[in-house]
Amino acid sequence: MAKTAQEKLDEKKEKEYKKTHKNFYKTKPGDVLFNVLNYLFFTLFTLTCIFPFYYLFINTISDNDLVKRGLINFYPKGINFNNYLALKSVNDLGYAFVVTISRTIIATVLMVVASAFVGYLVTKQEMWKRSFWYRFLVITMYFNAGLIPWYLNFAMLGLTNKYTAYILPAIVAPYNIILVKTYIESIPGELEESAFIDGASHMTVFRKLIFPLSKPILATIAIFGAVGNWNSFQDSLILMQDSHLFTLQHRLYIYLNQSSNIQSVMQSGGSAAVSAMEQALNAKVIKYTISMVSIIPILLVYPFMMRYFEEGIMLGAVKG
Amino acid sequence: MKEEKTEIKGALGNVYIVQRIAILLAVIAMFFPAFNPARICELISENLSLFTSAVSYSSLTDGCARAFRMGWIDESVFMVIFVASIVILLGIILGVAGGCMSLGNLKMQKTGLLFSMGSGLLQIAGSVIHFVSYTMAQNAENVERVKPIFANAIILYIVIGVVVFLVSVFLFIKLPKPDSNMKYEMESKYKLFLMFLPFAALAFVFCYLPLWGWRYAFFNYKSGGSLSMDNFVGFKWFAYLFQNAATRNDIVRVLRNTFAMSALNIFTSWIPMMFAVFLCEVKNMRFRRFVQTFTTIPNFISWILVYAIALSIFSTDGFINTFAKEFGLLAEDATGTNYLMGNSFTWVKMWLWGTWKGVGWSAIIYIAGISGIDQQLYEAAEIDGAGRFQRMWHITLPGLTPTFFVLLLMSIANILTNGLDQYLVFKNAQNVKTIEVLDLYVYNLGIGGSSIPLSTVVGMFKSVISVVLLFGANGVSKKLRGESII
Repeated sequence: MAKTAQEKLDEKKEKEYKKTHKNFYKTKPGDVLFNVLNYLFFTLFTLTCIFPFYYLFINTISDNDLVKRGLINFYPKGINFNNYLALKSVNDLGYAFVVTISRTIIATVLMVVASAFVGYLVTKQEMWKRSFWYRFLVITMYFNAGLIPWYLNFAMLGLTNKYTAYILPAIVAPYNIILVKTYIESIPGELEESAFIDGASHMTVFRKLIFPLSKPILATIAIFGAVGNWNSFQDSLILMQDSHLFTLQHRLYIYLNQSSNIQSVMQSGGSAAVSAMEQALNAKVIKYTISMVSIIPILLVYPFMMRYFEEGIMLGAVKG
Repeated sequence: MKEEKTEIKGALGNVYIVQRIAILLAVIAMFFPAFNPARICELISENLSLFTSAVSYSSLTDGCARAFRMGWIDESVFMVIFVASIVILLGIILGVAGGCMSLGNLKMQKTGLLFSMGSGLLQIAGSVIHFVSYTMAQNAENVERVKPIFANAIILYIVIGVVVFLVSVFLFIKLPKPDSNMKYEMESKYKLFLMFLPFAALAFVFCYLPLWGWRYAFFNYKSGGSLSMDNFVGFKWFAYLFQNAATRNDIVRVLRNTFAMSALNIFTSWIPMMFAVFLCEVKNMRFRRFVQTFTTIPNFISWILVYAIALSIFSTDGFINTFAKEFGLLAEDATGTNYLMGNSFTWVKMWLWGTWKGVGWSAIIYIAGISGIDQQLYEAAEIDGAGRFQRMWHITLPGLTPTFFVLLLMSIANILTNGLDQYLVFKNAQNVKTIEVLDLYVYNLGIGGSSIPLSTVVGMFKSVISVVLLFGANGVSKKLRGESII
């Protein structure tokens, strides 16, 4: 392919330019070294973040005999999903799932609606003693009475060992209210004004205008709330005695601390001929499997939610 | 004419306040077991509030199964108590409705007063029925076992009922009759406030009411017992904290752990910032995205799951040991080492886990900060011949300093708060001495151990010091940057 005179001229010019600005265009050996080290560091660190999850996973889907001999280190062998099916017979795990999933849904939905509504109310300057009530909410973020008074309070209200103890305290979340309030304040006020002029009530404006418009921030707090509820552990640990009300994380905590005797985890175990060693190792795989099913929901929603997570932390930096 | 009307309203407003306060008292008392008119015999738990007695018959009769079976007392008495509690509860709900309506216009006020009258009557009626059940309990088969007691709260609710009723009747007579074509209306500011009220109530119950639990610090309280003047001990537990040698040693040890781990975090709080700075030197956006996505994952799993992962990697039959065996670094039949046990470097280990979990997430805020820095600054510096590290030092880091400073101050304010979960799950028989931070100590002492008053005292100190530190940090920030952080 022959080059036109113009192209040749251009090339020549470019070469000359690069010659005179060689500091810019020459890749220095220091840069190469820096880049290699930098990429190497981040690759390694990312691996340490991924590998444990991968390791758990390949051990749960591999042949249990090989797992027992410690041969599953980097890739699965003898893939099967029997361990996941075996979870059916793990004591009380079903209850834990029902409790955790239902509370995640109910508490998150209520929290989001309440945050949106309260966030809207506190933007209204004409509310009676608005700034006092707003502060009344915000102060609770910076102060708490302590773990024991918190527990005694639940005991006094008769909420220990009650499912409602998971839901009621989650409804009012001051931090989320601040986020929503800040967001609503960024919505042009003219929209609301014109709705009021058309005779809309506060409720109508909230339902038809503010709620739909603040969807991005509501999605963000919904995800944070859902993850928090899914991971909830302390309230179950301290408030609940009825083992049917334990959350998934609490269940997992109990299993992890249990003796490695399979009998204590499984209903009526297998046949008596199963050796103690096998039982112990089965228990190990069962623990891995339970851990895996508690992680999977988070891993599944994670890639879709990344955007919202980042938005959330950035909004958190702007306090109102 | 108009002026006169508002004047009447002003004078009557004061009377209204009496009514509202009375209703508010009734609402609050409803949740306190100490003011339960339903507790007319010792069979009923002393930790039962009126509200619980009215909504849950099973809680009310909890502990009475034996009494019913043995025929000590007829179950119908408890039916009566249950009904009476519901009557008072309905009365209080009516009273709340009436109180809310008193913020409206004249017509609404009038209707609200009817509600309030009903409320007063219902409360009186409920209290009287409670008294009837009390006399029934006195005539039970086995009075010895039933142990009837007169609930003082019966008088309380009668008084509140009478006050509410009389005030409502008085106001109803005094207020002029509204025009027949008047509509129910309320000023916008009160409407908004009433919509807000339920949420304020929730915040009060779950965030402010626990402060009432601080009173346990002044009593000799045993789990399942009760508070009375008999076991009031004043500041005994506060003094105990400093006088009792064993407790003092515990506190010193626990504080050392707390400060050590917080200090490790504070001194390494620049790590997420450097993580962000170096990640932004990666020009391949795909790779950068990839790193960012996967390094933030650990932040979203609970500490229990982190522990599960720790077990799978570091326990006797975990990855490290099986890996060593597979590659002959460890004999096939050797028992592996459990790296999670042992008491060495506990602080550093805990810090490492915290960093592994949090660094990617904490870096996000700095990454966003870096993308907010004007690109022209970098171009100008490059033309002036500034190298990579010079650009970092003179442009990127100064741009991130404000964020870093705020987060640093916050972590100093939180120096006593390490959280409970991490240390609870990683605790074992060998490292218990070095892992116990203040939060875990309070938990062990109060929930796991025996001393609720003592752990309340420790918690009180922690709360107060934390708030002082927070305001101190805020003061520093205001002084140095002219901006508050809370």
